[in-house]
Amino acid sequence: MAQVTDWIKHLTTDVDAATEGVQVADIYPAVGTEWMWLTVAVIFWLWWHVGTATGEAEEQQKLARRKPSANDYKKNITEW
Amino acid sequence: MTDGLDALMTIFTEFYYWITVVLMFLIHVGFCMYEVGASRYKHHQHTLMKNTMLIPLVTVTWFFFGWWIYWAFPTGPGLAPSIMNESAALITDESLFSATWYVPTSNLMAVNLGDHISGVFWAAFLLFSWTAASIVSGAIIERITTFAFGILAIAIGSVFWTIDAAWGWHFDGWMLKLLGYHDAYASGVIHAIAGGFALGVLAVLGPRIGKFSSSGEPRNIGPRNPWFVAIGLFLIYTGFWGFYAACNIPIFDLGPEYGLGDGVTFYTATSIYVTPTTLSGITFNFLMSLSGGLLAGYWVSKGDPFWTYSGGLAGIITASAGNDLYHPLQAMMIAAFGTWCAYKLHYYVERKFKIDDAVGAVAVHGYAGVVGLVICGFVLWGYPSSGYSVGSMWVGTDYAPINPIGMIIGAIIMFGLLGFLPGWILAKILHGAGKLRIPREVELAGLDYNIIEQARKDERAVG
Repeated sequence: MAQVTDWIKHLTTDVDAATEGVQVADIYPAVGTEWMWLTVAVIFWLWWHVGTATGEAEEQQKLARRKPSANDYKKNITEW
Repeated sequence: MTDGLDALMTIFTEFYYWITVVLMFLIHVGFCMYEVGASRYKHHQHTLMKNTMLIPLVTVTWFFFGWWIYWAFPTGPGLAPSIMNESAALITDESLFSATWYVPTSNLMAVNLGDHISGVFWAAFLLFSWTAASIVSGAIIERITTFAFGILAIAIGSVFWTIDAAWGWHFDGWMLKLLGYHDAYASGVIHAIAGGFALGVLAVLGPRIGKFSSSGEPRNIGPRNPWFVAIGLFLIYTGFWGFYAACNIPIFDLGPEYGLGDGVTFYTATSIYVTPTTLSGITFNFLMSLSGGLLAGYWVSKGDPFWTYSGGLAGIITASAGNDLYHPLQAMMIAAFGTWCAYKLHYYVERKFKIDDAVGAVAVHGYAGVVGLVICGFVLWGYPSSGYSVGSMWVGTDYAPINPIGMIIGAIIMFGLLGFLPGWILAKILHGAGKLRIPREVELAGLDYNIIEQARKDERAVG
């Protein structure tokens, strides 16, 4: 998975003869698997929206069923 | 300095670190606000003073001996020879970067026209020291004496984190050579050790009165001022960004440093290990790991502001070990996982071992830091831990590549050996001397009782 195993070799090895003096520039691990990481991140991101929206709706419905009045919250303010 | 380019590079580097120090000062402002926001009204002013006074206590001791320790201890001593002098003893000879440069009476520890870097570099590390002590400070609020905290702050801020930095952060550190340890932005070097130290102290100090019911069930003593917590943590994020900058060398020619050949130059920013990275790359990673942590913190805590903000911090801390090299998407996912682990472990340890960590510092810094080190060992497996592995500048000393076993051992050293153990022992000594915890009556009445009472009398007198 390591893209670089020796910094000196990496910095002194040209990509090819046509690009002499240019070294491989992307040094992050698992180069070439960006699509896999993106897929995982997008799934996480979509799942996060669904998961938190569900939780938020549940919490609000629970509170709505209790029907507290507009001023009831004042009884619950703690000293800080 | 007579050469224009050399002068420009030197003064740019001097100014760069100078700015990072100013930015990192915001970490301490943030910690002060955050702790006051997390504490109850009757303890506010003592909580604030406790965290404020670590500034002079750690600064003075950092000048006396902390900075010396960093330069003297990379070899262990006795564990691996230095690449500077090929000796495994403390580095106190006449070699380059010897600790003798940084004794308080050295002419480098003052205004010196021949050295534009030592002071700003000293200060950058000092700000890391404040952070290490401040992490401990939050966990133990509302029941520790200021005296005991002062001793503990000096221990973590000027001694133990400095030793771990010498071992695992210094370019000559034995942990790089023998274990392949890599911790670019201090998942372990600052966060895991400070979290472990706090846990050791908490195990002796005990919980706040009322934290656990008679049946042992934990009760929530939540943050009292969400605004202070929010602003405090935003300031910590900002300062943390400055910290990321401070962990790099902004411009460096690796050509002669790595012996790339006559006249070969390779200018780049480097990590603290003098390995190439880019400020651009770490900016991607800082913000993506912050985001991964915030997303996970919000989700796992069901939208609790305190844990969402803390999740952002835990996310950065988890990804920090490898954020000089990760891809931003890797940083984000690693951050999210570490935040989830930190949250779950916090409540598991609280319930199982009756540990009252008032601000979740052990979780956010300690557990997230440990998780980050372990993950780094797998994701960066095979990368060189140093640019000097096969370098021609200092021949004869090899560095192990980054690997999971080395990173797990490194995590144990950071969290357990240099964190938990010294914290626990020092707390035991202070407890034995009757100096660790405030009297029960004072804790119930509030540390600020006298101040509040006097303020009321003053108000009445004024009319």
